[in-house]
Formats: sequence, structure tokens, C-alpha cells
Amino acid sequence: MVYEAVIGLEIHVQLSCTSKMFCDCPNRPGDDPNTNICPICLWLPGAVPRFSLETLEKATLACLALNCDIQSRSAFDQKVYYYPDLPKGFQLSQHHMPLSRGGWIDIIDENGKPKNLRLHHAHMEEDVAKLVHETEGRTPISLVDFNRAGTPLIEIVTEPDMRSPHDAMAFLKVLRTQLRYTGCAECSMDQGTMRCDANISLRPHGSDQLNTKVEVKNMNSIQHVGNAIAYEIKRQTESLKNNEPIVLHTRLWDPEKRITTAMRAKFEGPCVPDPAVTHILITDEWQQNMASKLPEMPQQKVKRFVRQYGLTHDEAAQMSSERELSEYFEAVVKLGASPRTVANWIATQLLPAMKEYGHEFATTPVTARRFSGLIMMLEKNEINSNSARSVLTKLFQTAQSPEEIVDQFGFRQVSDTGMLRGIVDQVVSDNMSAVENYKNGNKKSIGFLVGQAMKLSQGKADPKRLQEIIREKLA
Amino acid sequence: MQETRYTYLDSSPLPASADGALSGLSVAIQPNMSVRGWPTSAGSRALEGFTAIYDATVIERLKHAGAHIKGSIRMSELGFGLAGDTGATVLHKGDIDCLLVTDTMGEARMTACVAGDFGFKPSYGIVSRFGIIGLIPSMECCGIAAKNIKDIAGAMSVMAEIDSRDLSMPEFGADLHIPRFDRVFETREQIPSCGVVKECIDMLEKDESRAFSAAMARLAGRGLQIDEVHLKDFELAREVHNVIGAVEASSSAGKYDGVRYGHRTETAKNWNDMYMNSRAESFGVLVKTYLFQGAYFQYENYNAFVDAARIRARLLAQTESALERFDVLLLPTRRAAFDPSGAHTINTVYDVFSWTLIANITGHPAITLPHMVACGDTDLGLQLIGPRFQDERLLSIAARLTDLDREAHHHGL
Repeated sequence: MVYEAVIGLEIHVQLSCTSKMFCDCPNRPGDDPNTNICPICLWLPGAVPRFSLETLEKATLACLALNCDIQSRSAFDQKVYYYPDLPKGFQLSQHHMPLSRGGWIDIIDENGKPKNLRLHHAHMEEDVAKLVHETEGRTPISLVDFNRAGTPLIEIVTEPDMRSPHDAMAFLKVLRTQLRYTGCAECSMDQGTMRCDANISLRPHGSDQLNTKVEVKNMNSIQHVGNAIAYEIKRQTESLKNNEPIVLHTRLWDPEKRITTAMRAKFEGPCVPDPAVTHILITDEWQQNMASKLPEMPQQKVKRFVRQYGLTHDEAAQMSSERELSEYFEAVVKLGASPRTVANWIATQLLPAMKEYGHEFATTPVTARRFSGLIMMLEKNEINSNSARSVLTKLFQTAQSPEEIVDQFGFRQVSDTGMLRGIVDQVVSDNMSAVENYKNGNKKSIGFLVGQAMKLSQGKADPKRLQEIIREKLA
Repeated sequence: MQETRYTYLDSSPLPASADGALSGLSVAIQPNMSVRGWPTSAGSRALEGFTAIYDATVIERLKHAGAHIKGSIRMSELGFGLAGDTGATVLHKGDIDCLLVTDTMGEARMTACVAGDFGFKPSYGIVSRFGIIGLIPSMECCGIAAKNIKDIAGAMSVMAEIDSRDLSMPEFGADLHIPRFDRVFETREQIPSCGVVKECIDMLEKDESRAFSAAMARLAGRGLQIDEVHLKDFELAREVHNVIGAVEASSSAGKYDGVRYGHRTETAKNWNDMYMNSRAESFGVLVKTYLFQGAYFQYENYNAFVDAARIRARLLAQTESALERFDVLLLPTRRAAFDPSGAHTINTVYDVFSWTLIANITGHPAITLPHMVACGDTDLGLQLIGPRFQDERLLSIAARLTDLDREAHHHGL
């Protein structure tokens, strides 16, 4: 029998709020242990939670970016369980009345076709503390760091619309891009600011039943999610072939061994309405105000870049993959450089260089103005692309303008025909065998000759003009 | 010995300023109200040795107004039920004007009733819960037992105020006001219309019923309009309180795990053991039973909780509609046959609070008046329930009824 995988994801995303969800403590889990804590997030006796408006704003923006329906009334529930990382015996989450329902995002499937993936709902919840297990002498001890306790999360629960590891990975990439666009979340799986659990079940191809699922946790990259799902599909297929029943449980992905191992029966604790946190009532007006704060989302931006700047779809997609990148691209273009050259240079030269120097768009000294200056000199043939690459390196190392760098280091392109002819004469007389080859029909030899001429000009000659002159001379 | 009645007596000098609104008012509290530096165990081993690190909002306000917070007295574990007759004894002999008692099922009113004093539970949401260790958040609020209504009004005028640290308080504004307790005695109330809760009267024993009728007849003789009123689901109030109360208590007490503060067991092999043993050692039988009940409804019978929540909404609607017809609802405060200070099981605790817990379920303000409903040697107390957020009017009416009853006695009725 041919089986089809049915995959749903549950994704926890840390919101980039300045404070925690129910108190004023800074939302900086990485600080020294137990420095960002107070009576509320430690749940000292008598503490009363104070729900933060910032959490609601960021959560709402995130939900709107995923096309969710914001609910006019939502409320918190207590997810009851006991664990040392949970300071009060329950986690404040939204179960019965989530902040939003529905929602969708579009991906491109394996066959290159668009596919719409639906969300079931998205809700707010608080994160738990961090446990550190150590030993003191020979005694194992567990330390609790409450810095993360009470920091704001949204949990996004999808419908079981995904059918392959590709779908799941594509979903996560699009989700990440869209949420990053809103500025509400960093969504880094390796930093733990985005965490994903996958629910996987199998069914005979063509059937529409939903069978017992298995939950897989502990994937800390999008690639791991894909690998874990692929493994789980294989494992469940073999189980079914051997007539072993699939049992509802939770498995852990082991990235070293690249397998999943059974962890525990899937935990379903009680969820009771919380009596202390107020219900959240959202007016149409407030929601519209939030919607007006949403930036142009990546899908729209891709279309606009194609239409407005004549980029190919791939170029537009690449220039829209991050909000800061897209804004940088547009800023450079607005200063007068031609869009496709800019897109090409950002993709092939600037991004690798920024990675090498560890720069971010917001803070890099290679500002849009300096970069556009460079590209425009290239376009005006004032420098050739060889020199342009050298100038780019200097832009990272000095504070000078591209014009100053070109002048100071003599990168200006030599286009003077007389001068170029002199160089060509020299090259032709020095490389007679290559000239012979060319004359015998090996047209590729011209590349070698141009290369020699460029070398002689110390990289400053206009390669196009050089080629023309060599062709003329050997014709 | 006065000291033995208190678990903690403040040794700091009396408040210096004599010009505060509450200067000269002496107040005792229970150790579930945070006073910076005071032991705050809430009567539970779970919080053994716990010292408050800040003042509860009510404490801050009382101190600021010049009240003297004299000390704290013994309380039942986490405020569930009464701790014997400690509260009544302190009110009698403790040199205080007011005793603050968290009223979760009627504790403030019952303490006053036993002591022969006035006991008041304000509207839910007008007193900040910040810094008060609670058990059933949706039912409880800080109540007062006192020798007279004037001191209740005085303390409440300071305590009832919006607090940015407690967002669960209603949004007071143009349409909804915090009751003006400073106006309780400003105007003399018209003779109020009173509705006697029929379903409650039907459940009284014969002698209780006779005592209550006699009191009603005496007041009617002074011109009070008294009619029957129905709260159809009154009979279910006790179960509603028990189910919802146990569920909320189970969650609220979840934080007492010995990880961050409070009692931690000496004997544990691993953290799971530590949890189980710490909690097993932390709570007394009564509270433990209640928490088990709550866990049962959470894990095994959530539908019962949903039912209780639905009936609660009905009780609220019935009370609201009864209060559209009458200024106040009347019912006794306590039952003659059940000893408030001797209740040691969930059932006997609920027996004691049978007539008071309705106001905790619906959030209405309620007050008990002494010396008006005598059943043999027992004062059953006359309980008044008024409209939400019109607490000052309820206190006014209470004062008027007290006067009327005195006049009736004076006229030998």
C-alpha cells in the first residue's frame, strides 16, 4: 500500500517585547541567571499578574501577518502541570478562547506550484524557566534560571495540511520571513526563539481519514524538522508494514544519530479558565490601528519589485527575503543605481562580504549611499567590475566615499584607446602562440589575451574595449 | 494575655501623624496580608518562615491614612474556613477597631456574627488584591469585621481605590464609580424595600425560621417594606462554590512547591519526590482534601466545572434581577446548629457558610448586622446583600436598619 503523510506543526515563537508578559521585568533571558525576576514572575505569595499591552500588540501584529482572524474576546487559561521550570503549577496560555483563529500562508510545493497551508489558530502564552542540570561532587543537582519565566510567546498551530518534509520546511521559511517582517520576532531556531514540534501520521494514499499521530520534538533548525519528519515517515511506514500499531506519543529527534526516539506518552493536562488575568476585548478600531502598522508583506513586495524594478521573480524574492535587505535594496535604487545591477551586486558581493565582516544592514558602515556610489561608478564605466570588488572591500575598511577610494588607489578604469592599443600591442607580441591559436580558429584564446592585457593594466583597463581592440588587431 | 491572641505584634512606634483620615484607628490583620518584614505564612506550613518583602496595597493605604496596624492573628490554613474563634476573641478583647479578614465564603461576616459585631464584604473588584495571599481568586476579597459601621466605612473609604498593580479590577470611569464610602452617613436613607430570599427561608430549621420571622415582623412594625423574592438556584449555590472554589484553590496552591520559597522536604531522592513530599508535608487535611477535589474536577470531571460556571452565571443574573426590585436582599448570616469555630471537614465548613457564600459567588456587597435575629442564645445575624458597586448605599441602609431595630426595641416591640 502507498501511504501519504499528514503533517501538522505547532510553532512557538518568542515575541521581541521589551518586558515580560505579566510583569515589568526585562525580556532578556540570556542575562546572568535570575537577574530579570520579580515577585510576579517568581509567583511569590500575593503576586497579581499584570498583562502587558506590548505583548498584545506584538502578538496581534504577528497574527495579522499570518492572515489570522483576531478574536474580539480572548482569555487566558491555566495549563496545569507540575515541573520545577514552572513557578506556579500552571502555565498561562490560551486554550478555550485564543487571540486568533484561522489564518494561512502560501508556499511553493515540490512541483513548483503554489500551495495554501491553513492555520488552526494562534494564541499567546508565557514561556517557562530554564533548567540547568549539573553535579555537585557526585550529587546531580538541577538549577533553575527564572529569567525566561513569563516571557511572551505565541504558539501557532497549523491544520494538518502538509504532506512532505518539503512542505513543512517551506512553511517554516515563509512563516519566519513574514514574522520577521513585522519586527515582532526574531524566529531563530538555533537560538531557540522559534521552536517547532511536528505531528505526523500516515494514511493510505487517497484516503481522507486522520490517523493516530506521533509528536516529534527537539529540532533546532528547519533542516532538522525536515529530516525528523522524513525519518518519522519512514519509521511509521515500516511499522504499518509490520502490522505494528501506531501509538499516540512524543518522540525526540536526535540530530547526531539522525533518528527519533520515544520520550513519553503525549501529555494532555487540564486547561481551566484563569480567574486572575482579565479578558482581552479588542475593538475593530484598535485592530485596524494594528493592521495599519503592518509593513508591506513579502509576497506583495516581490510582486511590486518585479513590476516596478523589472527584477526577475527570483531576484525579487531574494531582495525581499528580509525586511532590512529589501529596504536597503530600495534605498540604493532610489539613489539612482539600476535595479538589476544592484540586486545582482547585493546577492553576489555585498551579502557574502557582510557575512564575513559580521555586519547588519541597520548598522553597517557600507550605507546605501556609499554602496550606490560604487554601483553607479561601475555603471558609468568609471571602474570595471574587478576594481569595483576591490572598492567594496575598501568600503568595509575605511570611511571614505567610493569616489575618494577610486582616486586614492587609482582604480579608475582606463578607456583611452591609444593607451589600450599600446597594451594590446605588447600582449600580442609577448603571446604569439595564443595569437596563433586564435588565428587557427580557437576563439577561446581571446579570453587569455584579454586576461594578460588586464594584468598588464593592473586591472584598470576596460575589458570590453580591450576585447574589441584585440579583435580588430587580429582580424 | 493579649499577646497570645496575636501571632505577630508590631513593635514599631505608633504612627506619628495624627491628621490622617484614619488616625487613631487600630487594625488587626491576618498573616495572608503582606506587610513588609512581617511573617506572612497565611496559616500554612507551605509558607513557614516566609516574610513579606512589600506592603499589600490595602496595607500601604491604611498606613498612609494613619491607621495603626497592630498585628496579625491566627488564621485557618490559606484562609479556608475559620481558625476557631480567634477572630471573634480579638475583636472582643484585642483593643482593635477593625479586623481585616479575606472573605472567600463569608469569613469576615461570620467572624463578626460570632463576635456580635458588624461584618462587611465589599463588591468584588473594588479593593486591590495586590499583596494578599488568596485561595479562590474569583470569589475572595478583603472584608472587615468591626464594632460599628462608621469604622467600616472609614477603612473602606481608604481601601477601596483603583490600583494599577491589580488589573483584574473593573475599569472605573464615567459609567462605573468606586463606591464613595465617605458619603455613607451624608444622607438619611429612605426606608428601604427589602426582599427576603424565599429559597433560603425554605431551607431554615423551624427555630431559625421563627427567629428570622420575628425579626422581620419587628422591622415591618417600624415601617420597613418586606416582601419575598426568589433566587431560583439558591439551593445550588453551595455546590457551585465548592466546585469552582476547589478548582481555583488547586491552581492557586500550585505555587507552593518548595522550589523558590516556603517549606521544602528534607527527604527527597529526586525533584519529583521533592515536589510530592514537600506538598504532602505542607498542607493540612482540610486544605489537602479541598485541593484534591479541585484536581479531580480539573483532570477527571471538567464538565462539572463547566456546569458550575454556568449555574454561577444564572445565580448572578437572578441576584441582579432581584436587586432591580428591591434595595437589599435579606437573609440570615449563620445557621444555629453549626458551630462556625468547630468546622473541620469540607462539608461542615460549607454547612457553616451556607447563607453567606452566595455573595462571594456573585460578587455582590454584603453586610451582617448583630443582635437582630436571636435564635435561643445564638445570634443568627441579619445579612443584607446590595447591588454591586453601590456599597456606600448598602452601608447606609445597614445603618438605617440598625437604628430602626433599636427604635423597635425601645418601643418594646
